[in-house]
Amino acid sequence: MDFLLIPRKEEEIEKEQDVIIIGGGPAGLTAGIYTGRARLKTLLIEESSIGGLASLTATIENYPGFPEGITGKELSRRLEEQAKKFGTKILDAKVLSLTLDGIWKIVETTKGIYRAPSVIICSGTKPKKLGIPGEREFLGKGVSYCAVCDGAFFIGKKVAVVGGGDAAVEEALYLTHFAEEVYIIHRRDELRAEKITQEKAFSNPKIKFLWSHIVKKIEGDKKVERLILEDLKTKEEKIFPVDGVFIYIGLTPQTELYSSLLKLDENGFIITDENMQTSVPGIFAAGDVRVKSLRQIVTALSDGAIAGVSATKYLEEIKFKGGI
Amino acid sequence: MALLRDEDRKYLENLFKENLKDKVKIILFSEKSSGSKLYIPGRIECPYCQQTREILEEVVSLSELLELEVHDFLAEEILAKKYGIDKIPAILFQKDDEVLNLRFFGIPSGYEFSTLIEDIVDISRGETHLSEKTKNFLKTLTKPVHIQVFVTPTCPYCPRAVRLAHQMAMENKLITADMIEAIEFPHLAEKYQVSGVPKSIINETVEVEGAVPEDIFVEYVKSAIKA
Repeated sequence: MDFLLIPRKEEEIEKEQDVIIIGGGPAGLTAGIYTGRARLKTLLIEESSIGGLASLTATIENYPGFPEGITGKELSRRLEEQAKKFGTKILDAKVLSLTLDGIWKIVETTKGIYRAPSVIICSGTKPKKLGIPGEREFLGKGVSYCAVCDGAFFIGKKVAVVGGGDAAVEEALYLTHFAEEVYIIHRRDELRAEKITQEKAFSNPKIKFLWSHIVKKIEGDKKVERLILEDLKTKEEKIFPVDGVFIYIGLTPQTELYSSLLKLDENGFIITDENMQTSVPGIFAAGDVRVKSLRQIVTALSDGAIAGVSATKYLEEIKFKGGI
Repeated sequence: MALLRDEDRKYLENLFKENLKDKVKIILFSEKSSGSKLYIPGRIECPYCQQTREILEEVVSLSELLELEVHDFLAEEILAKKYGIDKIPAILFQKDDEVLNLRFFGIPSGYEFSTLIEDIVDISRGETHLSEKTKNFLKTLTKPVHIQVFVTPTCPYCPRAVRLAHQMAMENKLITADMIEAIEFPHLAEKYQVSGVPKSIINETVEVEGAVPEDIFVEYVKSAIKA
């Protein structure tokens, strides 16, 4: 047996906090460790599962200090335990809005309204959609964005992975535990994934590549049966029979709630300075959700630590000025 | 062999101590010979029966308010039929002589272990975390509703879907809510075209892909009733 996930205790949570962290991935949990250690009353709100996207990764091989690798769920579990150890409370709820009321930041959730002078947004990203016919229709019927959830349905079958980055190639490797054939379909003629991951993929007999191809349509009767591909070099269209397709073409930030409040870049990522400060004093952002050059667990942790310390300093400053 | 780590055992012991109120009996339908190397012709294979039993034995050992009752699916066919058990391992819950309409079919391991624990706490306390709006809607039901939630143990989104369905069953006896571990019951995964989880089937007619918010799931239930 792999593991047994232990549930969280329901906690009494005060409506007034020092820091509210939105999102319980690696960045949010790390921010919680730092603000907790600063003895700030910290509430972390997570709408889905603790660990965020990291918890969906089967094995994380490039996380420093773990030469044997660590599973996404084990790392998430440890970060959560550490954040709670220093007093961070976790609320299982969806954030509905973030508004300002003087010095207070008001966070409305599905489980009540909370406020704090300081908020750290670590809402992360969600998988980018291809936006092609059939993608929505066949969701759960062969179209998936979660290999660890759905890989086991494709034992002995033929699947496609769309994308060429780290996630695409790592998940393709994971899928070889189940599928007979895994085709990586990539619009370029080389991968963007880490070289070591590429090497593993190239030497795996179950993985094959379709370079310079894009998926135009996903088709089938009741479930995915084939992809319609375009060869970008010859402009030829071809029918490609598959049982499933896993889409890893990048990430889109979860910032819809903050678009009118904070400065975002053209892709919707939150703009911060090096202290993780956003365009609104007291609101910080950390992890994949902000504009940055490398979106990895290790950089998310770093962001979280900086945001935690920045929030602490901000609270000291406003208290000094008599803001509260 | 203990399946839980020491620290987790202690954590759960404490969680049960602080949160359990009334006694809960866990009923497991399994196969008697599970775990034995002996091959008995005609006996159905249940690769996860033994492990499921071990998990439950460990869980009930953590609180005096919990008890485990194990039945043999084949030898106790009449009882299995009475509870509507058609596949194993199957887990049911009894409180105050009443067997509830929420079940686990397949091993409650991985992320679903937390579902099992949270269910036990809710059943013991006799309360759910559904919104007042949902509870009020559930009171208006007049016809039976059957919710089947397909999961895999490695799916972090799945417990949300199962918990929602199970809590609905706790609120109204007209609702029967089942967790089904899709990999253990491939014929059902095939029948309902499950190749992504969580996937919920309501009254055999309405399909819900993914873990949707409570209010949206309620709308699906409404549409299944109308269908």
